Amino acid sequence: MKETLRAVNNKKFQKILDQKKERMKFLLSFCAHCGLCAESCPLYRNYRKPEYIPAYKAINSLGKIYKKKNNIDLKLLEEIKELIWKNCVLCGRCYCPLGIDIPGMIALARSICRSYGIYGVYPHSLGEPL
Amino acid sequence: MIIAKIKPLEEIKTMLKDFRRVLNVGCAGCTAVCLAGGQREVDIMNTKLSLLFKEEGKLLEIEGFTVERQCEPQFLAELDSLVEEYEAVLSMACGAGVQFLAERFPETKVFPAVNTTFVGVNRDIGWYEERCQCCGECVLGITGGICPVTMCAKMLFNGPCGGAQDGHCEVDKNIPCAWVNIYKRLKAQGRLEQILTVFPAREWKNQVQGRLVLEEYQERYLNQIKEVMTR
Amino acid sequence: MENSQFYLFIRGPLLWVAFVIFIGGIIFRTLQFFRLTQKKPPLTYSPIKNHEERYGKSSTLGRKMQLLVELKNSFFGQNPVVALVTLFFHILLFIIPIFLLAHNLLWYESWGIKLLSFSESTGNILTIIFLTLALFLLLRRLVVAEIRALTGKADYFVWVITVAPFLTGLICYQQWFNYQISLMIHILCGEFMLIAITFTKLGHMIFFFLARFFVSSEYTLGPGTRIWK
Repeated sequence: MKETLRAVNNKKFQKILDQKKERMKFLLSFCAHCGLCAESCPLYRNYRKPEYIPAYKAINSLGKIYKKKNNIDLKLLEEIKELIWKNCVLCGRCYCPLGIDIPGMIALARSICRSYGIYGVYPHSLGEPL
Repeated sequence: MIIAKIKPLEEIKTMLKDFRRVLNVGCAGCTAVCLAGGQREVDIMNTKLSLLFKEEGKLLEIEGFTVERQCEPQFLAELDSLVEEYEAVLSMACGAGVQFLAERFPETKVFPAVNTTFVGVNRDIGWYEERCQCCGECVLGITGGICPVTMCAKMLFNGPCGGAQDGHCEVDKNIPCAWVNIYKRLKAQGRLEQILTVFPAREWKNQVQGRLVLEEYQERYLNQIKEVMTR
Repeated sequence: MENSQFYLFIRGPLLWVAFVIFIGGIIFRTLQFFRLTQKKPPLTYSPIKNHEERYGKSSTLGRKMQLLVELKNSFFGQNPVVALVTLFFHILLFIIPIFLLAHNLLWYESWGIKLLSFSESTGNILTIIFLTLALFLLLRRLVVAEIRALTGKADYFVWVITVAPFLTGLICYQQWFNYQISLMIHILCGEFMLIAITFTKLGHMIFFFLARFFVSSEYTLGPGTRIWK
């Protein structure tokens, strides 16, 4: 039953992915890769590593999903899982000088992962998904 | 963080008894952290409800969908195209999220799956303690970080009532006396004279719905109201 | 002879094409933006309601202090060098092509329009400053690990597209090489950049004004009455 649940979700997800495709591609195409969003991320401020820069998170999660188009495989989603769950708390405070909506992109990436059964893992619990 | 507890299964079953297609919306915010309404709880709830309905010979098509937070319109927008396909929506968010969801989809029947209990802390996995009652006039700086509203059974502000025994409350001897603890805390920090602060009578204004617009954003919304009012 | 015909082509029809694509691109992207966003639903009640009495009034530092504090904690305050470089880079990017004497002579020849112009030496100096700033930005992209992590081939390509018109313009003016050829290369570089604006990240020229002014967010510069659909 869980398998069919996932399949149903996927069809819905394809619909949502397609609906949002134009907007996400629009936003991703205008990212100037300037890196000014870094200082506004509390996690980046603590760890000072490129994997925490909001633009990096968005491009390497949602950007990769859109690049793969119809060939989204679980391996890709597992790869981006850490980026969008461990490296981001979705506090929504990222600052983009151009006004790109980065939290929206990460939230969509999370939704997509969830629809395929990939969940973020809360650190202290024993693998309980969020 | 907001702590909630899943309602008894029977209660939820009764709420949904007339429906055959239900959407169970989870929340990856507070209720996920307190193990009440996250993705996993949604899956488990769906399994349990399907089984319960099956036992009675009824079929329940219940599907799950978890959004980041149900207290933000941006995340609720993900449900826009889904909701109309179902007869009812079960929400596993806190009371605020359920209401926001119901407001966004006023023609949909929305049911809460959890009881929102308090604002509290995570002592350990599955162990939560209330710490704040949102009175809006925080005095923690004076009481050494112990809230007299939450931790004192009588919500006293000007010192202990005198009924404490062995540092515990006369109302329930499992509750430590908040004021004894405040005394100890302030003494250890060398600022015991603060305990002599006299608090005036409170107006207990937090009984009416709260609304807060930050000063920096007031002008923005005032302009938008003007537009609406002059139409 | 061939040069002359080719020159007439790129000075005439191709320039038209470049401008049409440029303006058409701006219109297309703007329409796309309005299609992808929607007006916020109207407020049905006033949200301001005696919260000061309940939650306490925030202290105000006075406008000037408040502005200084905000500035200090913004990107300008935390990374002043990069912020200033980017700011002047963008300012020069716009004002050099618009107020350059050589360009305005062409406008006058073609349409009889008289525009304000820099003196030739000013134009020269500004172009050199611009190229220095551009070089700084390229080095930043190569040296700083965080930015390098974000950078792809497209970013270097776009840097070249942007710097080329200015560099070739300088070469042209200084007549370091064959003037006719360097002029034609300069014109082609300029036209290429105009065409590239719609199709590459250079479109952030348009996107910036649309998103920062219209979209509601913590950092909105304008009324912020739209949200993403």
